[in-house]
Amino acid sequence: MVAYFIAFAVMIGIFVVGCFVAKLPVGVSMMLAALGGALVGGAGTDTIRLMVEGEFGYVDTILTIATAMVFMKVIEDSGALDALSSLIVEKFHRFPAILLILIMLIIMFPGMITGSSTAAVLSAGSIMAPVLALMGIDAVTSAAIIAMGGLLGMIAPPVNTVALVICAGIDVPYVGFTGPLLLLTIPLAIIFVLFLGYRKAKNLDYETLKPALEKQNEVRKQYGIRIYIPFAVLVILMVAFKVLQIADDIGMPLIFLISAFVGIFTGKKFNVFKLVTDAIRTAAPVMGILMGVGMFIEIMTYTGARGLVVITCLRLPQMLWLLAACISIPLFGAVSSYGAASVLGVPFALMFATLLGGDDVVVLAGLSLIVSVGDMMPPTALAGLFAAQITNVKPYTKVLKKCIIPIIVLLAYAAFFVANSNLIANLF
Amino acid sequence: MTKKKWIPAVIILAIAAVVGGVAAASFIAKRNFVEDIYEGEGVTSTFTLSEYNENLEGTVADATVYVLQGEEEGASLLVLGGTHPNEPSGHMAAILLEENATVEVGTIYVITNVNNSAFTHNDPLEGSPQYINFTTSTGETRTFHYGSRATNPIDQWPDPDIYTHSSGQTLSGSETRNLNRCYPGIEDGTITEQVAYAVTTMIQELDITMTIDLHESSPEYSVNNATVAHENAMSIASEGVLNLQLEGISMSLEPSPVSLHGLTHRELGDFTNTYALLMETGNPSQGRLRGATNEELVLTGEDPCYEIAYDLGLLYVDYSSGSLPIETRVGRHLQGIIEYINALNNNSEDQLVVTGIPTYDELTADGVSLGDFLL
Repeated sequence: MVAYFIAFAVMIGIFVVGCFVAKLPVGVSMMLAALGGALVGGAGTDTIRLMVEGEFGYVDTILTIATAMVFMKVIEDSGALDALSSLIVEKFHRFPAILLILIMLIIMFPGMITGSSTAAVLSAGSIMAPVLALMGIDAVTSAAIIAMGGLLGMIAPPVNTVALVICAGIDVPYVGFTGPLLLLTIPLAIIFVLFLGYRKAKNLDYETLKPALEKQNEVRKQYGIRIYIPFAVLVILMVAFKVLQIADDIGMPLIFLISAFVGIFTGKKFNVFKLVTDAIRTAAPVMGILMGVGMFIEIMTYTGARGLVVITCLRLPQMLWLLAACISIPLFGAVSSYGAASVLGVPFALMFATLLGGDDVVVLAGLSLIVSVGDMMPPTALAGLFAAQITNVKPYTKVLKKCIIPIIVLLAYAAFFVANSNLIANLF
Repeated sequence: MTKKKWIPAVIILAIAAVVGGVAAASFIAKRNFVEDIYEGEGVTSTFTLSEYNENLEGTVADATVYVLQGEEEGASLLVLGGTHPNEPSGHMAAILLEENATVEVGTIYVITNVNNSAFTHNDPLEGSPQYINFTTSTGETRTFHYGSRATNPIDQWPDPDIYTHSSGQTLSGSETRNLNRCYPGIEDGTITEQVAYAVTTMIQELDITMTIDLHESSPEYSVNNATVAHENAMSIASEGVLNLQLEGISMSLEPSPVSLHGLTHRELGDFTNTYALLMETGNPSQGRLRGATNEELVLTGEDPCYEIAYDLGLLYVDYSSGSLPIETRVGRHLQGIIEYINALNNNSEDQLVVTGIPTYDELTADGVSLGDFLL
């Protein structure tokens, strides 16, 4: 165990020095930490194989992020984003509370059918960001709403990839989750969006907004309904392949690329090569973080540091397991929320569902909501970082600060579900 | 781009190329590695799964079936090893069976690498060794794959968000590459479904009397040191379990859940006439509480994290010795096969008479290692 601790200490030490002293990018710091851990842990000639293998753990997510960013840039540069936001404000400005709830559900939608907070934030989140701005909501609050929408979308049914990861770990079929997941996410979505945005949006005065919408309205007039076609293609493809399952799933990367391709012909002209280059450059830091995360977890597993973390949590007295889950899972999510689901989510699920006799489905649903908080934890903070990026908020910590109360409420609500799983299971 | 920016860019690209090249060489070597599996004296013929699904012909998934046919006709048994190649005792038990057993009456079919594609890679993020080695009694080192739970993404990718089994059951998308979630299989489905289809069809056409699928599970998982049996196989399974317990080998009996689809013990029992059984034994190297992950852990099962977990009462296996060596795990499987054959003979007119299967006592005797039973 001493060797495991030394390897873990070396990895954390290198990461902290790389990130905060040498000011290296997070992904590079993680890679160096993994390299240090591998060498201390005795990986020897296997080091390179293990590190590259770890990168492959997130290759699907990286593809989704890259293509989502291309789509986002296309709808931004073609004017589609401006057009849609002005349309939404025009139609719903009389009912700000309903408009806010509608916006939250729209943000959640891509997450609900992909199980990815990144997809939600980068697609619907980026579309709704200008709408929130037009409603008078400041950038930090907008980012907080979008980030929390991404988290809840990722957990809401029908697709909850976190729950699916834990299901696979304890051989539970992904059946019967719809009710508990809706009960977990929809009330929180309504409460959070109103808590964060209503105070600022309730005095929305459309007449004073009109001059600011002139540019957007011009785009709508010039291109008419065809400006919205990329959105329609995105929604149709997602519903067709994810919900209706008309054929084998073509995957989110291809769906984003097809929708982006359509966007080339439906609005303002732009330089495609420059746009794609810009998009990939924007997404590169996060893709780099994910590659670093893959290496970091692989080496943690190889050296025994992962086992050390898990067993340390489980050594706590049984009465503290829930508290340990609520703290350790989001903290591990700072490295990766999917990693947290696999590394800590599965053992905790076994403990709560098997050893303590809880209801499998409700325990897993509750734990998946706890896991989602990892997407707000720096340095990876996929949902939070992208939300800050699309609303031009710097530094990201402002968004995290704004989300602290919702996160605490979310964790308490999820913990209530896990602790009272059999009671809640009786509702369905 | 200025010269100042070109130079670091070129250096980084060169390093990336070297790192990628080294890793690629390792992955390609694993992909092409041919295991040292010898045909035992009892093997009378071999064929491949593509005989029962021609779509598999020429693919990496076209696994070899070893046939051990007795001189007299009788009952038949199919043993599936390597359904999950990160559960090595199933794979090694099948190899020991094929290399050591001699059938006098009836026929035994052994598939050592039933999901052969899954042997050709390792699961990302799991830090697994690529190979495991054994020294035989002649001093030869024989090397075997340590693989993944699922089919290689090179052969089947991408995964859907959700995998919908032919029964309508939904599972995690990655389970679409898990052979033991794909039965009864689809002839022209994914490569994993094609393998499942070939196995199911083979059992149907050869009218195989009993099928035993060999697995391992995490020590913290409740279905451990257990046999899972289809309801049609319950009488054979209960007799076999009783005999194992009388011999001092801890074994529980679990009924195959009716609602969990895609698994051998459910679908092979439902779709064929075979008595479908699945055995699990505890394997620390695949558990989520494990410490350092390496070949030593796979072979010895010694792990300080599991010692703590055992003291905390979190495990479903006896870990009081602080180890679960592969000899014990393989011995459990082979003794299980012996006892289920005995139970089959007691419950069936058709007999299966076989000699030479290494027993639990032989494998766990002092100073003995698994390599001693390899050719």
